[in-house]
Amino acid sequence: MPDDMSISVNGQSQVPPGFRFHPTEEELLQYYLKKKVANEKIDLDVIQEVDLNKLEPWDIQEKCKIGSTPQNDWYFFSHKDKKYPTGTRTNRATAAGFWKATGRDKVIYSNSQRIGMRKTLVFYKGRAPHGQKSDWIMHEYRLDDHINDIHSCTIVCNVVMGELTQEEGWVICRIFKKKNHFKSLETISPTASQSVPHTTISHRLCHNDEGALEQLFHYMRSSTCKEENNVINNYDTNFYDKSMQLPSLDSPNSSSGDHPKSINCDQGGLNNWIAVDRLVASHLNGQTINDYNHDYEHQYNTNIVGGGSTNHDYQEESCDLWSFSRVSTNDSLCHVSNGMI
Amino acid sequence: MGDSNVNLPPGFRFYPTDEELVVHFLHRKVALLPCHPDVIPDLDLYPYDPWDLDGKAMAEGNKWYFYSRRTQSRITENGYWKSLGVDEPIFSSSSDSNIGMKKYYAFYLGEKPEGAKTNWVMQEFSLSDSSSASASSRSSSRRKSRSKIDYSGWVICRVYERNCDNDDDDNGTELSCLDEVFLSLDDLDEISLPH
Repeated sequence: MPDDMSISVNGQSQVPPGFRFHPTEEELLQYYLKKKVANEKIDLDVIQEVDLNKLEPWDIQEKCKIGSTPQNDWYFFSHKDKKYPTGTRTNRATAAGFWKATGRDKVIYSNSQRIGMRKTLVFYKGRAPHGQKSDWIMHEYRLDDHINDIHSCTIVCNVVMGELTQEEGWVICRIFKKKNHFKSLETISPTASQSVPHTTISHRLCHNDEGALEQLFHYMRSSTCKEENNVINNYDTNFYDKSMQLPSLDSPNSSSGDHPKSINCDQGGLNNWIAVDRLVASHLNGQTINDYNHDYEHQYNTNIVGGGSTNHDYQEESCDLWSFSRVSTNDSLCHVSNGMI
Repeated sequence: MGDSNVNLPPGFRFYPTDEELVVHFLHRKVALLPCHPDVIPDLDLYPYDPWDLDGKAMAEGNKWYFYSRRTQSRITENGYWKSLGVDEPIFSSSSDSNIGMKKYYAFYLGEKPEGAKTNWVMQEFSLSDSSSASASSRSSSRRKSRSKIDYSGWVICRVYERNCDNDDDDNGTELSCLDEVFLSLDDLDEISLPH
């Protein structure tokens, strides 16, 4: 019986049942990565070094096991910024595919002090640009490089950052498989402890969210010249009409007119992208990602789905958002579509 | 709490799966086998309000764990736990057999039928009949009737407040909706954005 009581990590020590490696971002940066960079010994060699070019995500999973407890994520150290010989782009290709960055880097704070950055990457099978997106996600954490911040005071920088600049090159990574919300929600994950009511609620939220998202993307796709006009009109009836605050791309009536579709679509597509980009960017700047889920729902209630939400806080915020994007896209697309009617 | 005998580097936390709670902790408790580390305290039927569990139950990541007894009514100093009527069987990952049961309770402030519902949730883990029978019979095969009364009444409770839940759980192991947006944008990027 004692055998299954404890689990050895690299033959050195033991992780008792019920405990798992579930570090905060702060711990990853402040404890593990800092120690690594400073060449200090780390208790329990839990985080391995991995050559990202040599191992596929599913191999990493094997190599970075901690004991035999079920894991949802795997951690390792890796060298930062291995460049292709010919250029400045980071080479994160493996034999079977490549890691591609997505989104924007997120700043990691500790006690409201900036301590590092997180980059999100997705694994694609195959070769760019024809890779096939997989469910493997990587978060790559690096200590704050301060290059931009301390740009103006090089002397201070050299003294203060001396330790970091010479040791730069280590990053700490976490890989995990993206969960599909429509399939089973976590079966044996450590987070499986959510209550049923909570789970159902978040499940429902996600469902709604993604429904709205899906609509949004369908919508954008259709406005980037990929679809016929009548497809857009299908959306009009159940979706477009309600999204009064969206920048108008293509008026519901416009299909009756004989406008040259191509111009309209090109413009609309481009501007719509900018609008979404702004929406996303302002969320990134304004609040943490965790908050996002919450706001997001309300936002879509007010803007797309419901239109009649009573939540004033969010409504106000989202109005600002959209007007911002409307203004910043120079109203060109409003002009286009208004001109069409 | 019992943390004193668990000396792990930063980042290790008590995040037991349901199965671990049942197999490693509840089953061993019922079978009178020692639990190493003995991190979950036994609060029996003490009528603690959920916010008073801190310092008494094993706390980790806004969740509190303790052993208790199976009971029909859990009345605390300021309220009571009411079943949400949701029972989830817990299956063994290795054998697919039903090893236990998870019941959900919500905490209500006030007197019994008219309390006000709060965000506090309790999951009560119990052994399924067959497994508790086998556990207790293993420990005391000859005193069957007595062991049933004595040992199968143990449960493990996991208590948390629903709002706080998100703080610790995800911490990056799940993509936020925003990340999903970016991911989808990547797709469209390749397909349809004009270069």
